[in-house]
Parts: sequence; structure tokens; C-alpha cells
Amino acid sequence: MDNKLLGLFIVFAPLSLLSFGGGQAIVADIQYQTVTVHGYLSNAQFADLFAVSRAAPGPSTLIAALIGYQVAGFWGAIVACLGIYVPSSLLVYGIASWWQKHKTSPVKIAVERGLAPVAVGLIFAGALAVVRAALANEPNNIIVALELVTLAICCSIFYFSKIGSYTVVFATGGIFFLIHWLAF
Amino acid sequence: MAEDTPPQDRPDGARGSALDVLVSFLKIGGSAFGGSTQAMVFREVVDRRQWMNEQQFLVGQAIAQVLPGANPVNLALYMGLKVAGGLGAAAAVFGMVIPAFCIIMAMGFAYTELSSLPVTSFVLHGVAAAGVGATVSQGLRTTRKLPKSASTIIVGLGVFITIGLLRWPMIPVVIVAVPLSIVWAYLDQRRAA
Repeated sequence: MDNKLLGLFIVFAPLSLLSFGGGQAIVADIQYQTVTVHGYLSNAQFADLFAVSRAAPGPSTLIAALIGYQVAGFWGAIVACLGIYVPSSLLVYGIASWWQKHKTSPVKIAVERGLAPVAVGLIFAGALAVVRAALANEPNNIIVALELVTLAICCSIFYFSKIGSYTVVFATGGIFFLIHWLAF
Repeated sequence: MAEDTPPQDRPDGARGSALDVLVSFLKIGGSAFGGSTQAMVFREVVDRRQWMNEQQFLVGQAIAQVLPGANPVNLALYMGLKVAGGLGAAAAVFGMVIPAFCIIMAMGFAYTELSSLPVTSFVLHGVAAAGVGATVSQGLRTTRKLPKSASTIIVGLGVFITIGLLRWPMIPVVIVAVPLSIVWAYLDQRRAA
């Protein structure tokens, strides 16, 4: 096996099992391993790839694909993705199938009922975190207002209708593109 | 290929085929910008396909969040497994990762060109606002379905205040809140019985 491919897998596979709460938990470690330890990337390259991974859809751990590509081309991207997703997925698969097969019992009901409010608290906390991050560096009050109005309108559409989320997301992107084209 | 799941596991909520799961998650994987993936999966799986109810979704969401791994991938795996067994789990993860993988690679190539254009960040801000709208809507819908008990309200608000408003780190809060909430729910049940 190609040394670089093996190296990528060895970097990402252990981090997979440490990525509690998703990508944010391991970004610092990815940076340390790929820049400082292995010298695959410079700090500036890492910063660029990080920005791309934040702007793209999908999980933020897809930064592994970008790093893999920089290091070893297409197969580097594939191997890095397998490294970051396979170990954690096997763990989730094992626990989820055990859980879903288990017969209903008072303890299981209590676990499900107990997890529900924690999940709901995290949903609202997550929404607030994204709003705060988006508005933190925005000096223009009109744009802030535009984003909050968009948020409220989209929330109402999702709450009261059955229109698919992809339709709403792409329509919003299109409308923002038009606004930018007309107003700036 | 859809017949590999035991139907007795899901008394409420219809089953789907692995192909249905693949189609649903390919759409989500290509459009879930800005940290709104959970809400989009909720919309597809609960609202549109009606594969499960809110309560069942929340369990999967909690398990996906508590275990290591990317939340969208874990969530897809859990939902795919529940709807269409092992093949469904593989289809869901594949659907969640592949479009995002292609887009991020394309963006990696185009980044130097696109990042200098002001329209790029403007459009992404709009898309992120739509994503937060989806998330808030999911939160409101699921809140409505929760039992109106003291434990639910205190735990839900407590998690939101500590992580959302006070910005405490998620992991320690969850480690304390989950067992507390489960024991509380168990005691509530015994009292009701």
C-alpha cells in the first residue's frame, strides 16, 4: 500500500472515534496531525481548506476529503473519508441495531423519554450558535435584518407547509443571488 | 431488497425500501448547508415520508449526537437502519456523504475564484438563514409533542440555557443531563403507574 494513503488512514481513523459532537471536537487535532506531525500541509493551506469545509454542505469532517486530496490525489480523498467515517459508523451501527432490536421495557421507555428533552435543548442551542456565528461579523444592520426576516419566513414555511427543505434552501439561495445582483 | 427488515420493530410509521432511503438522503446530502442537516432529515423522514414519529426521531437524534462521529452521518445511519435494515443504513450514509463529497471537492477547486466574490458569502448567508429556519421549526414541532412534565421542561430549558446561552461545552453538559433526565423520566413513570 502507498505510504501516504496508509498515513492518511492512520491519522483519521483514531480521530473518528474521538469526534464527539462532530467535527468541531477534532479540528484542532486534525490540524496538529497534518501540519505539525506529518507536514502534509502548511498552516495557510489548512486554513483555506477549513474555510471551504465550513462553506460546503454536509458534515464538517469532510475536511478530511480535502486534506486527502491535497496529500495523495483522488484516492487520498477516498481513503481519508473512509478513515474518518468507517470506525465511528461501525460503532453507531452496533449500538443502533442493538437498541432498535431490543424489546420495549420500562427502562427503554425511560431512556427514550429522558433523551427527548436533551435533544430538543440541543436543537435550539444549535440554532442559536449558527445565528450568533453568522451575525457576529456582520456590520451592516440591513443585512442582519434581511437574514432574520429570511429565518422567520423559512421557519414559518417549514412549520406550516410540507414543501421540501431542498426546495426552500435552493430558492433562498436564488433569491439572495438576485437581491445581491439588484442591490449592490 | 426492502423485505429484509422485521416489521414488528415499528408498530407506528411505515417502512420504506433501501432505494427510497437512498433517494431521500441523496437530496438531503446535496442541500444541507449551514448546520441544518438534522432539521432536513426530520422533515424528510417524519413530515414527508412518515417513516417514524417525532419521539422515535428524537431518540435517533440523541444517539447520533452522543456517540462519536459526524452527526449527519450517524443520524443517516440510524434512520436508514430503522427504515430498511442494514442495506438502508448503508444507503443512507452513502446518500448523505456522496453529494457533499462531490460538492466539497468542486468547491476546493473553485475556492480561490469564488471566495473573492462578495456574492458568494452573501448567498451562503441566505442559505444559512434558511437552514436555521428549518432547525427552529423542527425544535418547535418536537417541543409540541413532548410530554408536558416538569422534568421535560427543566431538562430541555437547562440544556438550552447552559449550552446555547451560556456557551458551556456540550459534552460535560450532556454527560450530566442525560442520566439525570432518564432517571427522572423513570421515576415519573413509576409514580404514574
